[in-house]
Amino acid sequence: MSTNLFRNFRRFLNRLTNSASRAVDTDREARLREEIAEHIALQTQDNLRAGLDPIEARRQAMLKFGGVESMKEDYRDERAFPWFEHLLHDIRFALRMLYKNPGFTVVAVVTLALGIGANAAIFSVVRGVLLRPLVNRDEARLLYLCQSAPDSSDVNFSVPEIDDLTAHLKSIQAIGTLSPLDFTVVGLGDARTLTAGVVDGTYFDVVGLHPVLGRLIGPGDDGPKAPGVAVLTYKFWSTTLHSDPSVIGKTIRLGSFNGTRSATVIGVLQPSVPYPVETEIIANIVTSPHHLSATMVTGRMHRMTEVFARLAPSATLESARAELGTTYAAMRSAHSEDYKAEKGYRFTVTRIHDQINSRANTVLWVLLAASGLLFLIACSNVANLFLARTVRREPELALRAALGASTGALRRSLLAEAIVLCGAGLLAGIVIAAPMVGVLSRYASRFSVRAADLALDSSMLWIGVALAFVATIFLAFIPRLPSNNSQAFAVSSSGSRVTLGSRRRLRLFAVTQIAACFLLLAGAGALLRTLFVLENSQPPFDTARVLAINLPVMTDGRTPEQITTFYRDVRRRVASLPGVEKVSGAMIVPWRDALSFNLQMQFAIDGAPKDDGKDDPRARFRFISPEYFSTMGIPFLEGRDFNDNDRPGSEDVVIITEALAKQLFPGQDALNHKLHWTDPLLKFSGMNPGPRRIVGIVPDFDDTGIVPEPSMTIYQPSDQEGFSGRLFVRAKGDPYALIPVLTSEIHHMSDNQPVERASTLDDVRAEIMAPDRLNAIVFGGFATLALLISIVGVAGVLAFSVSGRIHEFGIRLALGASPRNILSGVLSEGFVIALIGVTVGTAAGFALVRVIAKYTAELQIPGATPLIAAAGVILAAALVASAIPAIRAASVDAARALRSE
Amino acid sequence: MTPTHNSASKKTDVLQGTLALMVLKTLDVLGPLHGYGLARRIEQISGDLLAVNQGTLYPVLLKLEQEGAIESEWGASENNRRARFYNLTKTGRKALQSETQDWQQTAAIIARFFEIKSEDLP
Repeated sequence: MSTNLFRNFRRFLNRLTNSASRAVDTDREARLREEIAEHIALQTQDNLRAGLDPIEARRQAMLKFGGVESMKEDYRDERAFPWFEHLLHDIRFALRMLYKNPGFTVVAVVTLALGIGANAAIFSVVRGVLLRPLVNRDEARLLYLCQSAPDSSDVNFSVPEIDDLTAHLKSIQAIGTLSPLDFTVVGLGDARTLTAGVVDGTYFDVVGLHPVLGRLIGPGDDGPKAPGVAVLTYKFWSTTLHSDPSVIGKTIRLGSFNGTRSATVIGVLQPSVPYPVETEIIANIVTSPHHLSATMVTGRMHRMTEVFARLAPSATLESARAELGTTYAAMRSAHSEDYKAEKGYRFTVTRIHDQINSRANTVLWVLLAASGLLFLIACSNVANLFLARTVRREPELALRAALGASTGALRRSLLAEAIVLCGAGLLAGIVIAAPMVGVLSRYASRFSVRAADLALDSSMLWIGVALAFVATIFLAFIPRLPSNNSQAFAVSSSGSRVTLGSRRRLRLFAVTQIAACFLLLAGAGALLRTLFVLENSQPPFDTARVLAINLPVMTDGRTPEQITTFYRDVRRRVASLPGVEKVSGAMIVPWRDALSFNLQMQFAIDGAPKDDGKDDPRARFRFISPEYFSTMGIPFLEGRDFNDNDRPGSEDVVIITEALAKQLFPGQDALNHKLHWTDPLLKFSGMNPGPRRIVGIVPDFDDTGIVPEPSMTIYQPSDQEGFSGRLFVRAKGDPYALIPVLTSEIHHMSDNQPVERASTLDDVRAEIMAPDRLNAIVFGGFATLALLISIVGVAGVLAFSVSGRIHEFGIRLALGASPRNILSGVLSEGFVIALIGVTVGTAAGFALVRVIAKYTAELQIPGATPLIAAAGVILAAALVASAIPAIRAASVDAARALRSE
Repeated sequence: MTPTHNSASKKTDVLQGTLALMVLKTLDVLGPLHGYGLARRIEQISGDLLAVNQGTLYPVLLKLEQEGAIESEWGASENNRRARFYNLTKTGRKALQSETQDWQQTAAIIARFFEIKSEDLP
C-alpha cells in the first residue's frame, strides 16, 4: 500500500512539473512520434518477413497499432493534468469575456461580495461571542445557580437560602458566592465609584481563575475578623491604572452603603469574562459592613448574592440539576410562607457558558439567519444573471458541443467564469467584512461582555472561502447545458430562443429572492416601528435643560446627619452659582437608574377596610429633595412640595402621583389621607412602617419607560428618611457648560467626593434608546441591501424574458396590439412574481416563527403594519424594476423585430 | 477542446491495470525492451489482448515511468535505428512483487467463488 501511495505521489509530481513546462512538452511529443514510427517500422519488417507485400505489410502494421490520434490524446492526458490546464485556459477566456461585459461583472461581484462579506463578519462575531471557550479552568463543569421570579427584581439568593441549598450536596464539589455592589473607592487615583463584588474564600477556586499579579482571595480571607483585601480585575488595572505593578500592597478605602472599610490590594485577576456584572474590583466579605449585618445573614428575602458551583468529579449537569432541584423544593416547603406560589419562583442550574451566552444567543443566531438569507438572495441573484447570460450564450455552447466539446468541457468553461466571479467577490467581501466586524461587535457588546475583546481572525477568511466555494458550485452547476437532443434546435435557431425550463428556473430564483427580502423587510419594519414609537414619545416634561449628576454617598467617617447636611449644602451652594435655575436631589436618575431599580412595594391606606382576598396595592418608591418637581418642570396638581421642615422627627409625609390618587381614592380628595408600607421587604430598607400623610399630588412621571405610562409612585423626602446620591440642575443656558463650575464647587466642599456621569436627561433618554436605534440600523441596513439586490434580480429576470420575446411582441404589434397592452403585460409579469414572492415569504415567515418559538419565548411577531408596509415596498419596487424592460418591450419596432428572424 | 472519447477511455482503464502488470512482469523476466518488443512479447503470451490497438501500450509505459516503476533510454533497435528501451527499476521490482501478491490473492478468492455450488452454502 505504501509503495502504491509513493508511486502515485511521484506520478502526481511528474504530471505537475510537466504541466508547468512547455519544453518537456515538445520534447515528449517528439519522442512519442519517434517511438510510434519505430514501432510501425519494426512491425512492418516482421510482416514483410511473414511474406506480405510492402504496402500490405505497412497497412497491417498501422491497423495493428490502432488509432494514433486517440492514443496520443490518452498519452497527453497521462503526461499532465489536461483538465486543469484547460481550466486555466478557460479562466483566461472567462476574464476576457467578463471584461467585455463590465455591467454584469460589477453587479455580480458586488452582490457576491455583500453576501460573502456580511456572512463572514457575522460568523466571526458568532464564533467569538458564542462559540469561543472561556478561560475558566474546566468551564464545562462550572455552573451558575439562578432563582428568579417573573414580576420581581429580587432574583438570586439570600444567605439563609444558600446555607439551605448547599449543605450536604453530593453532585457539587464546591460553592462560590459573589455579591455585586458599588464601592466608592478612595486611594486609586481620583475618588470614584467602582462596580464591585464581595466574594467568599472559595469563589476564585470555584470559578477557576488565576492571578496575573499577586494572589487572589482565598479561604484565609473569610470571616468577620479577617483583614480587608481586594483584587483588581485585569481591564480596570490595565486601562485605568495603566498596568501599574506598584498597586499591590496599597491600602485603599472602600465605601458602601453601610460604612467604609480599609482593604489592601493583593492581586490582579487574569483577563476573564466578568459575570453577572462587569466588576472592576473584587473584595472579601469583611469590606462590606452590610454583608456582615444581621439583615444580610438572617434575612431570607434579602437576596443579594450570586451562586457559582463546580461539579463533583463523578457528577453530571443532570445529576446536579436533580439534586439541587430536590433540595430547593425541600427548602420551599420548609419555608412555604416565604415562597408563595403566585410569586412564581423559578430555580435553574445552567452551565456558566450557556448562562453568559443566553442573551446574545437569540440575537446573534437571528442575525446569522438574516445574513444567511442575504447570502441566499445574493447567490440567487447572481445565479439569475448568470443563467440569463448562459441562455443567451446557448447558441455558442451548442455550437461548441456540436464541434465535439464534451459536457465536461462546457461545464468547465462555466466553472471558470464562476471561479473568476466568486474569487473577485471573495476578495471584495473580505475587504468589507473587516469594518463590519467592528460595527457588529459593538452591537453584540450590548448582549455579551465577550464581544468587547473580539478580534479579527483567520476564521473569517475560511468562512469566506467556504461561502465563495458554495457560490461557485451553485453558479457553475445551475445552468443547464445543451443536451444532445437540443443541439440541432439550438443551433438552428438564430439567437435567444429560451427554453421553458430555464425561464421557470429564473422565475424560481426571483421568487426566492423576493420571499427572503420580504422576511428581512418585515423584520426591519417591526424594529423601525419600535424605534419610531420611542423616538416620537416626548418626555412628559421639559427635561432638555436638566442636568443629572451622580454624587455617590461617601460614608467614610460621616454620620447620617452629616451626610444629609452635606447634600443640603451642595444643593444650596450649587443653586447660588450663576446660570443655575433650580437644584434638587434624589436617589436615582430617571430612565438611567430607574430601569434597574424597578422594585414595587406593597402599602395600605390607613383606615381602609382590609380586603383579605387581595394583596395590598403596590407602588414604586422614590426619595427626593424639595424642588425636585420644579427642577423637572412638573407642576403640582394639589398640595405642597416637601420643604426643609420635613426632617427626621417631624411628621412623615409623602407625595403621590395622580394615577395612584385616582385609583386609591376614586372621586375623593386624596390629600391628608395616610398610608403605610406593608411590604415584607420593608424591614431590609430601614424605613419605618408608620403612617405617612399625603401632602401633595403630582402628574404621573414615568421614569422607568421611554414611552410614558400611568405611574404609581410614592415620593418620600430624602432628608427625612432615605438616601440621596444624585443631583439635578436645571440650567438657564447650556447645561454642559455648568459642569466644570459645579465640579470645582463640590470638590471645594469635599475633595474626595466623586462627581460622575453628568449628562442632560434628554441625553440619558437617547442613551437608553441607542440599542433600539442600533437594532434598527443593523436590520434596516440588511433589508435595504436585500431590497437593492432583489430589485436588480427582478429587473434582470424581466429584461431577460423581454429580450427573448422581442419576436413575439413584434408579431403582436403587427397584428394590432397596442404598446400599452404589451407594457402592462410585462409590468403584470413582474407584479405577479413579486406577489408570489411575498406570499411564499409570509408562509415561510410564519413557519419560521413557529420553529423559533419552540426554542425561545422572547420572540415577537411583528404586527400587521410592518408586514403590509414591507409587502407594499416590495410590490412597488417590483413595478419600478419591471418598468425599464416593459418600456423596452412596448417600444419594439414590429417590422424590425420580424425581420430579425 | 478535447473531443469526446468516454467509451474508449473506459475500456482502456480496465485494460491499463492488467497491461501495466504485464509490462512489469515482462521486463522483469526479459530485461530491457523497446515498445515494439514489449508489445510482441505480451501478444505472444496473452494471445489477442494486444492483437489490435498496440498503441495503447504507450500511455501505460508513460504512466509507469512517471510512477518511477520503469526507466527508459535510447538504444539501437534490431534494424539499427534509434529506439527507446524500457527497464525495470528497484521501485518497479517492489511494485511488481506486491502487485503479484495482490493479484494472486484476488485470483484465489475469485477462484474459490467460482467453485461454490449451492449445496456448499449452509
